[in-house]
Amino acid sequence: MRPSYFQTYTPAAPLAVFRVAFGLLILASVVRFWAKGWIDELYLQPRFFFPYYGFEFIKPLGPYTYGLFAVCGVCALLVALGWHYRLAAMGLFLSFTYTELMDKSTYLNHYYFVSLAALLLVFLPAGNYFSLDAQRQPAREHTHVPRWTVDALRLLVGIVYFYAGLAKLNSDWLLAAQPLRIWLPAKNDLPLVGSLFNYPITAFVFSWFGAIYDLTVPFFLLNRLTRPFAYAAVVVFHVLTAILFPIGMFPYVMIVAALIFFPPEWHERLLERVRAVFKRPSAAQQPATPLVYRPRVQLALVTGLALFFVVQLLVPFRYALYPRELFWTEEGYRFSWRVMLMEKMGQVEFKVVDSATGRTRRVNNSDHLSVLQEKMMATQADMILQFAHYLRDYYAAQGVHQPQIYADTYVSLNGRMGRAYIDPTVDLARQAESFAPKPWILPFDDEISGL
Amino acid sequence: MKKSILLFSLSVILAAGGITSCKDVIADAENPTAGASELDRKAVLTQWADTLVIPGYQRFSSKLTAMKTQSTAFTAAPTVAGLQSLRQSWREAYLEWQKVEVFEFGPAADVSLANRFNIYPADAAGIRRNINSGTYNFELATAIPQQGFPALDFLLNGIAADDAAIVQSYVATANQRRYLTDVVNTMDQLLTTVRGQWNGPYRATFVNSTGTNAGSSLSLLVNSYVRYYEQALRSGKIGIPAGVMSGVAAPDKIEAYYHRGALPLQLAQTAHATVQNAFNGRAGQPSLKSYTDALGAKDSRTGQSLTKLINDQFSLSSQQLVSLGPDLFSTLQTRNAAAVQSYNEMQKAVRMLKVDMTSAMSVSVTYVDNDGD
Repeated sequence: MRPSYFQTYTPAAPLAVFRVAFGLLILASVVRFWAKGWIDELYLQPRFFFPYYGFEFIKPLGPYTYGLFAVCGVCALLVALGWHYRLAAMGLFLSFTYTELMDKSTYLNHYYFVSLAALLLVFLPAGNYFSLDAQRQPAREHTHVPRWTVDALRLLVGIVYFYAGLAKLNSDWLLAAQPLRIWLPAKNDLPLVGSLFNYPITAFVFSWFGAIYDLTVPFFLLNRLTRPFAYAAVVVFHVLTAILFPIGMFPYVMIVAALIFFPPEWHERLLERVRAVFKRPSAAQQPATPLVYRPRVQLALVTGLALFFVVQLLVPFRYALYPRELFWTEEGYRFSWRVMLMEKMGQVEFKVVDSATGRTRRVNNSDHLSVLQEKMMATQADMILQFAHYLRDYYAAQGVHQPQIYADTYVSLNGRMGRAYIDPTVDLARQAESFAPKPWILPFDDEISGL
Repeated sequence: MKKSILLFSLSVILAAGGITSCKDVIADAENPTAGASELDRKAVLTQWADTLVIPGYQRFSSKLTAMKTQSTAFTAAPTVAGLQSLRQSWREAYLEWQKVEVFEFGPAADVSLANRFNIYPADAAGIRRNINSGTYNFELATAIPQQGFPALDFLLNGIAADDAAIVQSYVATANQRRYLTDVVNTMDQLLTTVRGQWNGPYRATFVNSTGTNAGSSLSLLVNSYVRYYEQALRSGKIGIPAGVMSGVAAPDKIEAYYHRGALPLQLAQTAHATVQNAFNGRAGQPSLKSYTDALGAKDSRTGQSLTKLINDQFSLSSQQLVSLGPDLFSTLQTRNAAAVQSYNEMQKAVRMLKVDMTSAMSVSVTYVDNDGD
């Protein structure tokens, strides 16, 4: 009788490779962020930050923010080495996630992916093989792990791609080739291919290819015959996006993450090569020592994973609970693998009215916000509201009597002419944040059909 | 997103199957309003360098040199006639400056040229302190409103009650003569530095930086252009004196306050015309306008091109500026609402430049990673 899926074991090498590569990439990410001076620019300089709803207590730590990044980098290194693995993975998840929650204006989908993958690593047995822990305590070394532990990572990566593909199934992307039609001509000075970008047909080809790629690549990566071609496509696609767009580490994270789809033997060969480089003994003759969870532990882990993935599958669709155009209101937009979908730009000017005297001032946003914060806020209603509340408190402290805050906004989306975004007659000082639809966002007056 | 998924799937199938269902889109796609040549950023940058920036600085330089000559003559032997000649050359240089202040990128940004030449209101008390003490450092942040054209405005028009008294104050005070000379010489040196860069290595750097990322020439140019229109022109010349920002009108914050008369509005109008000219460039030559047109930026509802909408708005705000004449100072005192209206018209243009045009060009304003909002 074949053992059931949950009794099947597979070599631990894929988890080990993922752990090492992931840890090193995050370390590189932290070093890059630090070296570019972004810790100072994004988390120390601004006077105001945009916390996430419900996480208002998470704030930058002043100069200790550097310590937070140091902890994150050290944990990433420890994860890569597999040294005090469980604790390091926990530290990595907490420090990285804390950092991402400090300010909405730095939200990136790949940071969210890193947080989720780090969370999975806390619970997956990725530190029991090819790790310092295993070397120091041979009793804890396991050459094999339950198959579901590797498949969990595959499922996470698969969801990222597939959902990113679903998000592209809309009329702007497929029928108007937006926003690539705007973005590609801006890169027409690239050698060789640049001149092609002047032709909108190129944007159509890229849009359709991108959508089909995202929707299908996880499946082609699963299949032995198509895998080499699919992985070549992964590399080409992500290198291209790295050249074309300022998306930082995202392409590299995905190029590395997609390796999880390769068979265990491939990972084992890779590890053998690493061992050879470091003059470590080969593991070829090693007897199989599978990690067998006690039934209760396995049940708890599998149940937890199932819950995690149910949430992952549902959260991107929460936008359907909101009545109006997602791209316009952005209600339910984040945490949904909507990557590079919109060219959205805006300007917002705040009016502060003294309730007693009627005296009206206008706010110079740059007195309070960084360039990035101002740019991000200008197109996102929840951030406009947060800043309005900050202004209310700021001007009340300056002696303005019950300040009323009005936003004069102008937002352009995917090449449409800009239009007013927030009702300019609504006093934002008196509006509360919640998950409910925001009635003071003005209508989009256009339609983007699709998912 | 509207859940018209059925309709949408249908159109996707049609589009995928025959490309017939979206023929208009594809036809449009194969016939880019542009030849590749019109989307050539290097050509736009070259036009800016060779027909706007470098000749602009050249013309301004000759006005500044003329002012320096008058200043040297006046400080050597202060007379009422000498003061009036100097003041005339100052007016001409100030007007010419309005045509180059917008180029605050590259060499000008390196020396913060606009800060050194035209931050007003002038710090009259600080200038008097500097004259009395005889020690001052124009490099300091606190010295910004104690130099440049606004300082000259005070020194030539406001330091005493009338021309005779002004001349007398120069005759009487060597320190004051020296201060005037130092202000003028500092401006001359700064401009020489900037021109040296443009006439030297920077021109090639500028025209060969053809990207659109933060720090590329187009990004520097567009951001400087929009910032100038928004902050120096809309807010500085009209909005702040009209009290739009603070809620309290402050006519004493106008440009060329001590001179007053027709000059303040002439300066604003010259600046506005500069913004229009810089946008449109020379007929038939590459410009921000031709590049934006080549990108196909338009109001999809009306089919009107973005550049036409921008130019229409420029015309409106220009007309509204005219209505503030002839004396901006008295207009602000007697019918401030007209100035607020002028601000509002300029704000409409600011948005089209800052949001619609910048978005169409896909110009970045920050180096920080971004995965598309």
